[in-house]
Amino acid sequence: MQNKYIYISLLALILLSSFMLIQNSEVIQNFTLETSQIEFEAGSPIVLKFSPSGEKAPLLYCSSSYGSTLIVPTYNSKFLMYNIPFSISSKIGVVNWKLIYEDSFISGKFRIGPKKEVSSMETYIGPPSIEAGGTDYTMLVVIPTDSLDNPFPDNTLVLAKHQFLNSEENEVIFTEDLISYKNIYSQKESGRIFVSSESLGTNSKEFSVTVFPAIPIDFKISATRPHGYADGNQVTTFSTSVIVDKHNNIVADATYVTFFITNEKGNILKSSGATINGVATSKMIHPDYETQWSVKAYVDGMAESELIILKYKQVIKSFEVAFSENNRDITVGPLQSFMKQIIPDGIKVTLLIYKYNRLFKTETKTSFEGLVNFNLKSYIYNNDDYTIIVKTAGLEKTFHSKRLW
Amino acid sequence: MKETSNKLLVIAVLLGLAYHGTSIFFTLETTYDALIHVFFADHYANSWFEPWSHKWYTGFTVMSYPPLVHQSIGLLSMIGGLKFGLFTVALLSIILFITGVYRFSLLITSNRTVAGYASILAVFSSSFIETLHLFGQLPSIVGISVLLHALPEIYLWLKTGKRWYLATSLSLVAVTVTSHHVTPIFGMVFFILPLIGMVIIDVSIEEVKSIREVTFKVFFNNFFKLFKRIVAFGITSLVIIIGCILPYWVNSKNNPITQVPIPHGSRDNFLEVTSSGQMFFLIPWGVLLILLPYIFYRYYSKRYIFFGLSITILTVLGAGGTTPIPRMVLGETAFNILTLDRFTLWATIMSLPLLGEFTYRFIKGDLKTLIQSKFGVIYHRIIVGVFLGLFIFMTIFTMSLGYFRPLQPQTIKMLPIVNFLNQDNHDKWRFLTLGFGDQMAWLSAQTNAMTVDGNYHSARRLPELTTRPIERLENSKFKGVAGIGSLQQFLTTPEKYNLKYIFSNDKFYDPMLYFCGWQRLRQLQNGIMVWERLNIAPVSSILYKDDVAKWQKIIWGILPFLTVLVAFILNIQVLLINALKKGPKDTPEVLKHSNSYAKFSSSILKITQYWSIVLVVIVLYSVYQFYLKNDSQRIPENVILAYYDALDYKEFEKAYSLIDPKSNISIAQYMLENAVTDGLLNSYARLDAIETVITNRSDSSATARVTTDWITPLEKINRIDYKSLSKHNNRWYMLPVGLDTDLPPDQLYSSNNTSFFNQGRRRVTTQQTHHEDVLKQPVLEVLSAKLVKYNNHYAIIGEIQNIDNVPADVVLKGTLYNDDNKSLAVYNAKYHVKHKLLPKESSSFRINFEGIAWSKTQDSIPDAFNPDEFTPVDLDEQPTKFNLQVAGNVSGSDLYKKIAMSELNINGKIINGSLFNSGIQEVTVPQLLITYYDESKTMLWVDHLFIKEGIRQQRKRGFEYQVLKNGNVKIINNGMENVFVNGLPNELISNKIIPNRIENHTNAELQKIEHPVFSYIKIETNSYIGNPN
Repeated sequence: MQNKYIYISLLALILLSSFMLIQNSEVIQNFTLETSQIEFEAGSPIVLKFSPSGEKAPLLYCSSSYGSTLIVPTYNSKFLMYNIPFSISSKIGVVNWKLIYEDSFISGKFRIGPKKEVSSMETYIGPPSIEAGGTDYTMLVVIPTDSLDNPFPDNTLVLAKHQFLNSEENEVIFTEDLISYKNIYSQKESGRIFVSSESLGTNSKEFSVTVFPAIPIDFKISATRPHGYADGNQVTTFSTSVIVDKHNNIVADATYVTFFITNEKGNILKSSGATINGVATSKMIHPDYETQWSVKAYVDGMAESELIILKYKQVIKSFEVAFSENNRDITVGPLQSFMKQIIPDGIKVTLLIYKYNRLFKTETKTSFEGLVNFNLKSYIYNNDDYTIIVKTAGLEKTFHSKRLW
Repeated sequence: MKETSNKLLVIAVLLGLAYHGTSIFFTLETTYDALIHVFFADHYANSWFEPWSHKWYTGFTVMSYPPLVHQSIGLLSMIGGLKFGLFTVALLSIILFITGVYRFSLLITSNRTVAGYASILAVFSSSFIETLHLFGQLPSIVGISVLLHALPEIYLWLKTGKRWYLATSLSLVAVTVTSHHVTPIFGMVFFILPLIGMVIIDVSIEEVKSIREVTFKVFFNNFFKLFKRIVAFGITSLVIIIGCILPYWVNSKNNPITQVPIPHGSRDNFLEVTSSGQMFFLIPWGVLLILLPYIFYRYYSKRYIFFGLSITILTVLGAGGTTPIPRMVLGETAFNILTLDRFTLWATIMSLPLLGEFTYRFIKGDLKTLIQSKFGVIYHRIIVGVFLGLFIFMTIFTMSLGYFRPLQPQTIKMLPIVNFLNQDNHDKWRFLTLGFGDQMAWLSAQTNAMTVDGNYHSARRLPELTTRPIERLENSKFKGVAGIGSLQQFLTTPEKYNLKYIFSNDKFYDPMLYFCGWQRLRQLQNGIMVWERLNIAPVSSILYKDDVAKWQKIIWGILPFLTVLVAFILNIQVLLINALKKGPKDTPEVLKHSNSYAKFSSSILKITQYWSIVLVVIVLYSVYQFYLKNDSQRIPENVILAYYDALDYKEFEKAYSLIDPKSNISIAQYMLENAVTDGLLNSYARLDAIETVITNRSDSSATARVTTDWITPLEKINRIDYKSLSKHNNRWYMLPVGLDTDLPPDQLYSSNNTSFFNQGRRRVTTQQTHHEDVLKQPVLEVLSAKLVKYNNHYAIIGEIQNIDNVPADVVLKGTLYNDDNKSLAVYNAKYHVKHKLLPKESSSFRINFEGIAWSKTQDSIPDAFNPDEFTPVDLDEQPTKFNLQVAGNVSGSDLYKKIAMSELNINGKIINGSLFNSGIQEVTVPQLLITYYDESKTMLWVDHLFIKEGIRQQRKRGFEYQVLKNGNVKIINNGMENVFVNGLPNELISNKIIPNRIENHTNAELQKIEHPVFSYIKIETNSYIGNPN
């Protein structure tokens, strides 16, 4: 297959060169181009010879796609010789030349082609990560170049190779407008695609493209907790089932899942987690009063879980309030938990103090060893009658007209 | 006689070199100005003839400061480095100063011994020490020293009319002006004018033989006689002053200083601001204060009468805002631009000859005789001892001030920073330093990288800087916090300045950096934290330059050294010739009018004694007042003040000593309680104001309402605390406050996390990053965006989601347009967005359009600035459209999302709740983003709340949020057609990745509230972790 192309192109070359004529647009009596070759290989020395040689040595104007220059000739007894500089002779393309002498000129052009061997494969691939599912793709661009960084002519054969899971594929592509390219589509699975290319026996290095899972689909959630009591201390852990996309790929690590918790008051609490191997967990401290939580998790705009219900049982059944020191010292407790053990430190006790039926002040403290002690300072609470409400763990006790003095 | 006096000068120079020459190595680098001069010197060393420097302020011209001293350091640096240049020039300036004082004293007193005394005293003069060792004002010292050298030459020219003297004096004036521009201008007025007066009087004396016979008529006659010389000198010196630094004047005219005045201590009322009084009055005057009566008595004698007037004006001007006179004399503008301490410096230098004279008379001359005859030998010895003791005390005190009250942060090792900037093309971006003090100039001198900040505020050009009364962004927290507002603008829109790296030496700024979207990169070996911002383009390779004509560059580069060369040839050569000449010399002109030190006026002695007693009384009284103020436990107010002060400065041991010992808290427990509290208020606040009202007080107990204002990098916090105090053994104590007793259930926690690491370049190479090492920008989707107006305040609000599979750093840039598609304002999202999003995470956002604060109303800058204060941009036209550009970049840092909303209660307009930190990092500053919706769940507004206290691991923290007041919210435009993500249209991306998005998915989970305008809210959390583990 390959040989055939080389064969054809060689044949074409021979055919072409037999028709080659020196393209003199105007023949001047003074100077004639003696060099017949008009196809050169990049990097090879190029000398344009003109006759006759003599004292008249005009400059040669020479112009390629990389720029223009003037060349000073050297001469021997027969010819004027113009050495095309390496900066021009190393780049492929058409080079126009013009020799101007007094009022007359002679001009022509020649072509430089790339070297025969590919020395490097200029390869680009992007984006470096795509989504699974068969719609997203990454584009491989290959430019076979010779050792002078010249791209090869159109229709140079390039093999684009890629490997994904169990499949390895080779595909023939041809350069067009000096580059060759191929779109590589993802498959249903996530993973990694390895890509390389080959042209005229030279291989590129390895490239890889990550295929990320697509967007998640609906999932389930569950909750685990040490006990079902509303002690305001233990922590409930919510977990999702393994979250996958519609092709059953586990979603990317750190996918963000929000757990919305609606309590009995209708207020919305929130916790969040990021997946590891598809499972997101999040934690929430227990409420400190009897309530019921409805929990639902979301991946915003893409997927959600079903609703689960969690009940938290009342932990403190009742509590004592003792007044002393002219009713200014108020001790709440001992606060006891579900087995009558002293509740862990830190449960919140709120004192609402009303004066003339208007809320005068709110004081909040946390329990220590089951007790909470309030001291109503005389400089804030003048001697008077107050209504005092003590709230804790969703319970409350009211003491009307307590006289402070 | 002559031999002895020359010896005194030699001693003075040797003493000066030994004393200052050794101490500068410990003081000069920590002064305010020295490193700035080094920076300029570095500029000249690298590009002598190019006045434009790109390194500071996005470019400025060094033609804004006279070049001689900088060029000298720069030239010397080529021999032994910049510091070598600095110290060499400092040593030269010391010699110049001492010899200058000698020549000036000789001119005034016409007595070589007295001049010798004066030069020795000048070595230890507190004003000189302050200027050199505390302020580091080398150009100023060189300027005044050379001017002192010029004075005798000017005297000689005026008196003798020899052209040679005109040449020498002009050559010295030229050196003066090339080293410091202000010195010759004011020097003309305060030194040269009185000198001219003195010359005329001297000539008059010579004419009429006795000073008594000098009348106005004689004076004026001689004035007209000398008029030609005076005018000749006046005009030529004016030409010199203008000509030698012509580019400076051209530059000042082209770029007039149109900036908001920066407060300076020398303009304070010294009686009110005693620290300024100490710095700018007590220290420079020092022992001279005792001699004030003598100095004024002598300078108001007939021969010196013009010096008398001059020193009076200098003294008054130097007193700053203490009297209203300087403001009236100088005018409002000049008063606010000039630093007035220089007047005091000149006044003290002018006093030095008389200090020498007094000391001579006191120790050896007629005053000694007078005192000994009046009070006895012992008394004389004692007061000489006291006088010299005080003198030495002032010297030591001034010299050590920088040691006891450091003016600068501790010396920072610059090498790691310089290396960092040189690595990996980091110097292709601008950088900013925070908390470096004047050492930032030293950093700039060592690196090619550019900074947006700078340390020479007169050269600033950005309106963001010139409209603020701050010297530098770098120390903005000290500058009445007007600076924090300015800093915030730079941090929010850093791409405007290509600002990518911040070197922070002060963790105060950390929360602001985080919430403005910056991320920590790493800590360098010297403890400096590097912060970076993603999505910033490098500085373009062609930068704006305010170019000047070639002749200006040549003048600037050549003239200063030429003046030195000319002055050297003209002056030193003469000295040498004189010294080598043998045989008897004529009495020089300047020694013709010597004073007789035969009889010291006893009334002056008396006045000086009384004056000293008055001074002693004042000193004792202020010491007593100081004691009263500082005795923290004498009255309850003092305890509270001392307690808050101690907490503010983290002096917990001192705070503990103010806690009631009967409360039975051990110091270990107290320290522990303080150590576990973190948060905005505890770790990042500076106490700004405190007001204590004692609400109740008995003999042994008291209660106080303490209103405190705290400045934090994010906002101003106002707090009211009620504190109880008790009294034992005549001392007041604070009663401790209760502690949150909450106990988490477990001892040991585990937590699983996904962590990310971005290699940057996989290959160790200095070449451009390889194509395959460039990560794809994460795909974001703008779920909604709209232009709204809420109470005259335009903003773009909306919601953004990271729909990619990698975490993203988010930068949102909004532009407002009017109907004619004219761009009206551009700004970035600041606090109102979660800047770091996990895959599939979403965040509400709001982009405020802030103007450059107060740029329009320069005179109405509020005294008390609030960092949270918002200056809406001044829009001339009605914005009707907007463009939103969103950029995502992969970022693995600051992805802590373990804050849960564990409780929520709504009572009317107040929302109470608590946050639970379920992870294993301590959250330093929790933030809530509150999104408001109308009844149809359409997004209307986004607000935020910073919670003042941090949340420890596995613990709760309560918060209270005030629902926004009723306001007029209007949606102006909710078109999404101009929303772009990573440069691509938003809709295209959204359709490709999530074609079947569940619209308004979580709207079912919005929190209902009772409010006339808003019906629902959504609360999101964001958290800054100060010390990640």
